[in-house]
Amino acid sequence: MLSDLYGRRELLSSGVLPPEVVFAHDGFIREADQIRLPTRHQLSHAAFDLGRDAAGDWVVISDRTQAPSGMGYAHENRVVVSRVLPDLYRDADVVRLAPFFRELRATLQRVAPDTDGPASIVVLTPGPRSETAFEHGYLASYLGYPLVQGADLRVRDGRVWMRTLGRLEPVHVILRRVDAAWCDPLELRPDSHLGVPGLLEACRVGNVSVVNSLGSGVIENPALLPFLPQLCRTLLDEDLLLPSVETHWCGDPAGLRRVLDGLDHLVVKPLAHGQRSATVATWTLTSDQRQELRARIEARPHAWVGQEALPLGQAPTLAGGVLEPRRTVLRTYAVAKEQGYVLMPGGLTRVAPDPDDALITNQRGAWSKDTWVLAREPERLTGFWLQGSDAADVVKPVPVMPSRAAENLFWLSRYAERAEGLVRQLRATADRITEFAPGTNPAGTATVRVLLRALTHTTATYPGFVDESAADQLAHPEVEMRALLVDDTRPGTVAHSVRHLLDAAAEVRDQLSNDTWLVIGHLDQDLAEVDHTALPTAVTGALGRVLQAMLALSGLSAESMVRDDGWQFMEAGRRIERALQLCGLLHATVTERRDAATDSLVLESALTACESIITYRRRYRSRAQIETALDLLLLDTGNPRSLVFQVDRLLAAAAAIPDDSERDHDRATLDALLAELAPLAHLVDTNALARVDDNGQLTALRHHLERCTHLLSRVAEELDLVHFTRQLPQRAVVSRHPSAGPQGRMVRT
Amino acid sequence: MTYRVVHQTVYDYDSEVSASYGEAHLQPRDTPCQQTYQSTVVIDPLPEHLRERRDFFGNRATHFTVLQPHTRLTVTSTSLVDIKRRDLTEAVDDLPWERARDLLATDTSADAIEARQYTLDSTIVPSSAAATGFAAPSFEPGRPLVDALTDLAGRLYRTFEFAPGATTVSTPVDEVLARRAGVCQDFAHLTIAGLRGLGLATRYVSGYLETLPPPGRARLVGADVSHAWVSVFVPQVGWIDLDPTNDQFANERYVTVAWGRDYSDVPPLKGVIFTESERQALEVTVDVVEIAEDDPVLAGVAR
Repeated sequence: MLSDLYGRRELLSSGVLPPEVVFAHDGFIREADQIRLPTRHQLSHAAFDLGRDAAGDWVVISDRTQAPSGMGYAHENRVVVSRVLPDLYRDADVVRLAPFFRELRATLQRVAPDTDGPASIVVLTPGPRSETAFEHGYLASYLGYPLVQGADLRVRDGRVWMRTLGRLEPVHVILRRVDAAWCDPLELRPDSHLGVPGLLEACRVGNVSVVNSLGSGVIENPALLPFLPQLCRTLLDEDLLLPSVETHWCGDPAGLRRVLDGLDHLVVKPLAHGQRSATVATWTLTSDQRQELRARIEARPHAWVGQEALPLGQAPTLAGGVLEPRRTVLRTYAVAKEQGYVLMPGGLTRVAPDPDDALITNQRGAWSKDTWVLAREPERLTGFWLQGSDAADVVKPVPVMPSRAAENLFWLSRYAERAEGLVRQLRATADRITEFAPGTNPAGTATVRVLLRALTHTTATYPGFVDESAADQLAHPEVEMRALLVDDTRPGTVAHSVRHLLDAAAEVRDQLSNDTWLVIGHLDQDLAEVDHTALPTAVTGALGRVLQAMLALSGLSAESMVRDDGWQFMEAGRRIERALQLCGLLHATVTERRDAATDSLVLESALTACESIITYRRRYRSRAQIETALDLLLLDTGNPRSLVFQVDRLLAAAAAIPDDSERDHDRATLDALLAELAPLAHLVDTNALARVDDNGQLTALRHHLERCTHLLSRVAEELDLVHFTRQLPQRAVVSRHPSAGPQGRMVRT
Repeated sequence: MTYRVVHQTVYDYDSEVSASYGEAHLQPRDTPCQQTYQSTVVIDPLPEHLRERRDFFGNRATHFTVLQPHTRLTVTSTSLVDIKRRDLTEAVDDLPWERARDLLATDTSADAIEARQYTLDSTIVPSSAAATGFAAPSFEPGRPLVDALTDLAGRLYRTFEFAPGATTVSTPVDEVLARRAGVCQDFAHLTIAGLRGLGLATRYVSGYLETLPPPGRARLVGADVSHAWVSVFVPQVGWIDLDPTNDQFANERYVTVAWGRDYSDVPPLKGVIFTESERQALEVTVDVVEIAEDDPVLAGVAR
């Protein structure tokens, strides 16, 4: 059908299909006319919603061919169920899903245009805000392809390229999860920022294959259903194996009569995909609503269909702790082979959450079940990679990543480190508050004040504890401290960092393991649930949870991530942020001479916040001294919390990041900054820095910390400019008729 | 008539554009009554991709990509077109308008099958009860189609003000109707909506109209404009071009460039650019000049 509808359109000229059925459907993309994939089958994969009729027989309810969703969920369900019910799963001889996904990979390879080397394949997602974003990341990482957004791609030379770090990588196949209308703002929706201008032209020239093809959505048209038996005989000389749900197209006079007479028991749908939410169960309508619907259908009959409502089979479903019957729809999947199609041995069974739900909608709110097909005999174990692999499927030595992904990894680790640093600082401060709560120890009270003010300075959450009028805040710090933990609307707080960390993680879902999601997935909810009143215990508990998560995250990063480009950016981000935190904390705490007792307490807290207190105590058994503390915190290359440690690691990461030739912003400034930072961190005279001037200030230390902070911030800026592609804003340009001026009306002669 | 048409569009941006992707419908297509001898599109700065194709409607569409940074983009098309327009209104004779509508459902010719898409809603011309209501009084039962169309165009011409600036490129038909003002694009869309509402297949035509100077004045170079009108399908006869803006059926002075369901299928130029620039100055000049049979321009041109 796709070959014909985007080719000779004989189905229309021969009268098999009324032209209105095709022309009125918004899945018919005229701009895709005459575009063909270089394979026999133009439909690379599809999904089918199946339900049971009153006799218990399976009936096709609808076909999903635009960007069929759910196969990732089906796989995830299988993984979960096999873990939860391992014995049952093993004993039941369930047919595995992996071979189906292997088939999908083979299809994507096969559909590639002729290339010199192996085809480069990407998964195109609308982004983390899409309702099926989880699945896009899941599928991309399971199949092993980069997850990209429209802005990661560009058309040049009639070809599609991915913006990676430092270069453009060719893209040959795009598995799209973006609806066709949004894929090319030049020829389709001009307001789309999800697509790639020029993509259709690149398809036309044959340099890229989009899967499913742009225009494949025309098959989703419910008005095709009444014509399928005839279409099947015409195109395949066969009868349909499975009937569709009985459907009447109103563009046909008999169909219109059936629908208008059935407005009390039919499901009525508009053809247009964009109005699918307007699907109506007519028996739920009031008589006014029914009249209105009737008028709308009569005004444009060709734009509507009516369908008999299926009773749908029911399945026992755990609802509120008990098993209850719920209606179900089975979505299953097919993927094209060279000849014919392979069906997924299983699928995604969607369940109506409510016993009264007449329609199981496509919204992801519906529940789902794993669906098993039992093997006739025990299967050989077949993993994703087992069995013959494509000769052409050569693994690229360099994993390719869009520069947007690198940028998000960089920020992910910066926000994680920022959250961790502040949590440690909050905890050190809370400990002192508890310790000196009676307020009878003057040095203790002074220490608490210094630490509270330091919180405001290091997070830049002014006025906080430093304002003239902060006396109240200082006397009752709980409210502000709590805000520093949970108020995600204020930049600088833990919650704000966590939110941005999660946003960044969502952008690079395919790069992160499932374990990572276990670790950070619920952090924002944890923080939101911190009780308003219960201080300080709730805060302490939340601090512990955040800290645990951040530690687990850095553990994963250290022990479970390959040292690829993405990791180097995470490393650079972590080191820059930790160094900035350290400089900020020292600047706000130990650059002023107070009385000896206070200085000692403050320094001890600073060492605690920097996770260096145990080492310090073991090494220097006397009281806390600024010189020795600076030795440990600035100069000790063996201390993973020291400034010099951060700078060395930053230099190593920066050196490991590929030097690209095509970037707009050259690397000289970045190299100069790094060259200045290295000696500044290494060649420090801590005795000189510890010197106190006549005003009781450690001016040298203060200047040193400020210089380091400045250089680190500049390094972060330059890394951004050098490596992360900034695309200028996308705008649409139009002309109009008449082209200009008031001369549009002919002057009569 | 033979015309030389030069259509130049200049975009000036107030900051640099890093990439410009464009599609032009600027090269006149051949039609049963029109032959394009020559047609070129020149783009400055030099595009790195430039390719012409036939679009879904059979129009000539030109794709281009400019990847060198620029603050000005110039697109110039130059065409030599010969027009021998046959007056189809005679062929239609006194066919009642309902026949034109009803024949469409039974006519199985390729032209008729294709024409049926022009009875449906399109991207920016959805069905409009108001537009149908406006057209209906001209379509009394049994009235000859040509009469009815003439009457409709006349009513529109008399009751609507040609007012550049009254509407924008995206003003809906109902609003044009309410304001009783607009430009050729609006009048074409309104007519299309009205005729489709009555069941007639109607399409949008983009092109040029040779303008004549006021009596006693010299012709101004570049004073012409791109123009738009409509075309109505009559089964077994063909497409009749009607210009509601000028209250007449198209004649030899109408140069057809492209057609589609509405303006959005055939804008002379559209594009996507990447830039900080929020403003663009657009200057368009069109020159439609009649060429005499013995004009040296035609020497050596394949005709």
